[in-house]
Amino acid sequence: MTDRRDPLLTVDGLSLSYQTRQGEVQAIRDVSFELARGSALGLVGESGCGKTSVANCLMRLLPDNARLSAGRVLLDGQDVLLLTEEEMRLRRWRRISMVFQAAMNVLDPVYRVGQQIIEAIETHGVESTDSAARERVARLFRMVGLDPQLMERYPHEFSGGMRQRAVIAMALSCDPDLMIADEPTTALDVIVQDRILRELKAIQQQLAMSIIYISHDIAVVAEVTDVVGVMYAGRLVEMGDTSDVFRAPAHPYTAALMSSFPSVSGERRSLTSLPGEPPNLSDPPQGCPFHPRCAYATDVCRTEYPPQARSGSHWAACWHPLDATLVPQS
Amino acid sequence: MVLTLFLIITFTFFLVQAQPGDYASFYVLNPDLPPEVKDEIRAAFGLDKPAWQQYVIHLKNTFTGNLGVSFGNFPRPVLDVLAERVPRTLVLFLTATAVSFYIGFFLGKAIAWRRGGLFEYAATISGAMLFTAFTPAFALMMIWVFAFRLGWFPVGKFLDPLVWRGADVSANYVFGNMLLSAAAFITFALLVMLCLKRFGRRVPSVAAVPIVLGGALVIMAAWALSGIGGLALDIVKHMVLPVATLTLISFAGTMLLTRNSMLETIREDYVMAARAKGLPDKQVRDRHAARNAMLPIVTSLVYSLIFAIDGSVIIESVFSWPGTGLTLLQAVRSEDLPLVMGAMLFIGMLSLLAHVIVDVLYVYLDPRIRYQ
Repeated sequence: MTDRRDPLLTVDGLSLSYQTRQGEVQAIRDVSFELARGSALGLVGESGCGKTSVANCLMRLLPDNARLSAGRVLLDGQDVLLLTEEEMRLRRWRRISMVFQAAMNVLDPVYRVGQQIIEAIETHGVESTDSAARERVARLFRMVGLDPQLMERYPHEFSGGMRQRAVIAMALSCDPDLMIADEPTTALDVIVQDRILRELKAIQQQLAMSIIYISHDIAVVAEVTDVVGVMYAGRLVEMGDTSDVFRAPAHPYTAALMSSFPSVSGERRSLTSLPGEPPNLSDPPQGCPFHPRCAYATDVCRTEYPPQARSGSHWAACWHPLDATLVPQS
Repeated sequence: MVLTLFLIITFTFFLVQAQPGDYASFYVLNPDLPPEVKDEIRAAFGLDKPAWQQYVIHLKNTFTGNLGVSFGNFPRPVLDVLAERVPRTLVLFLTATAVSFYIGFFLGKAIAWRRGGLFEYAATISGAMLFTAFTPAFALMMIWVFAFRLGWFPVGKFLDPLVWRGADVSANYVFGNMLLSAAAFITFALLVMLCLKRFGRRVPSVAAVPIVLGGALVIMAAWALSGIGGLALDIVKHMVLPVATLTLISFAGTMLLTRNSMLETIREDYVMAARAKGLPDKQVRDRHAARNAMLPIVTSLVYSLIFAIDGSVIIESVFSWPGTGLTLLQAVRSEDLPLVMGAMLFIGMLSLLAHVIVDVLYVYLDPRIRYQ
């Protein structure tokens, strides 16, 4: 049926806008990428660049004022944007699950943690008996490094790190093909953050699951992903193998983003912060959206959106890519 | 608790003392009664003693369980009068509060979930109108429409003497048995739900409905066979109109509160997560959004219960329902001091009890609250 070599997920020309009192806000514009089975993709960018909107599109959990203007999201070749609400409901968590940005409040305070995971398992009929479901939760708890006895506790009895682990266990509970981790560790201290990331990586490889990491933290993404996409102002501006992108960033925005983070292992260099603000998405600038903040901007940048400059799988939407091996495609 | 109770007794005592006149002054206008007789009446009831002495005696008697003798219903003890009247009030107001809470909660969560429809406008506007209606006028209107014009229900009172003529059992006996059956039924229903929850998480809660309905049928059959079912039905018929009036007046409070509370919880991350988990829409609404929205509403339930019992004076007078409220009103008008004190004491105790019940309920509903 489906070929193992076919991409698990294909996002093609996705555009999304929100209707607000100030007018239409273009949250995502023409975003396309593919995700292979068992691989990890990272989406990085500043706050408000559309990362979380992409995640919500994949889950089809959009607020009422959102409008999908174009694009397809193919999961195993099937467009999830065309499914009925009920068909989509049955695929949520079973096919695509999510570790939410604000993991602190994702657990319902009035139910036991284990019960909230069992709820998902039962809804999707993953296990047929109650004891099997409990056994599965115990297994998941051990996998994420929690004592299985904690499943009888309430969320307020958990620490921040424990809750995050429980939320990850919950996301894994129905053997999804794809897990979206939206800022999975942002709220945690650095040591716990690092441990959880390592464990996530190990679990992902063990289960041969695909993951999309969404983070503003380049270090996190560099550590755990195979492919990375950089987003700016609702657009994907650079994409490629993680090692390629971070070794030789082609888009000035990527380079600026990287120079604002310290490198632990690399040479000592001064950190530079990127001047200016991301553009107002209800009235984006003409041409390349990054040109008002870009040191390399020329006239063409201000009038026309750049084509992709490509080298193998690494591409950047820039008129003047920093990596000269990238060749503009006409 | 005891301290609060003590304060209630003290305040009501001196409040009542501060009113002009006493039981004997009723006979002031009677020219046939010489002043000596009035003094005798005062002495017989201890009304000639100074206020502080009366207070001490009253306090001592109250804490030993002696509420005295009702002047107006002489020689019935106050406790006896109240034992007859308090359950009638409780049944009326507990039923009305339960029904209005259920309706209000149900409508509130529905309009919060599907916002902006015609249904929301209709429910909100009609609810707010009923909520702000002047209670006595609205109650009279209900009587006029349903009792007078349509003749579906009796105009007022507790029972119809024509039905009870020749009955060999007292109204209190029938009513007592009705209370027992209601209590038995509620216990049974709760047990069924508890068992279902405990033993079969996979059994849908719909399965409880036929079992509970079966229990109700058994109880009704028992009443039909007992031969006094007609008498019980007569009391129920008299209850319908006051309960309906109370429900209509008060459901909107719960409804609007539920709606606001729901609009808060809907935005919570755990509701989003519940939807992301692929739970059916109804389950997201009822088990997560509404379940959490319920917490602040339960608090309001105590106050509405207390207000309802306070308001029993009005509703019971309009419907001539012989409960605590009507008794209190009559006692005040006839200077029946012990009965006034007794009725006030019971109302105070009921509000205290309501607080305790809600505290316990809250612990059950919100695991974050644990009393040491």
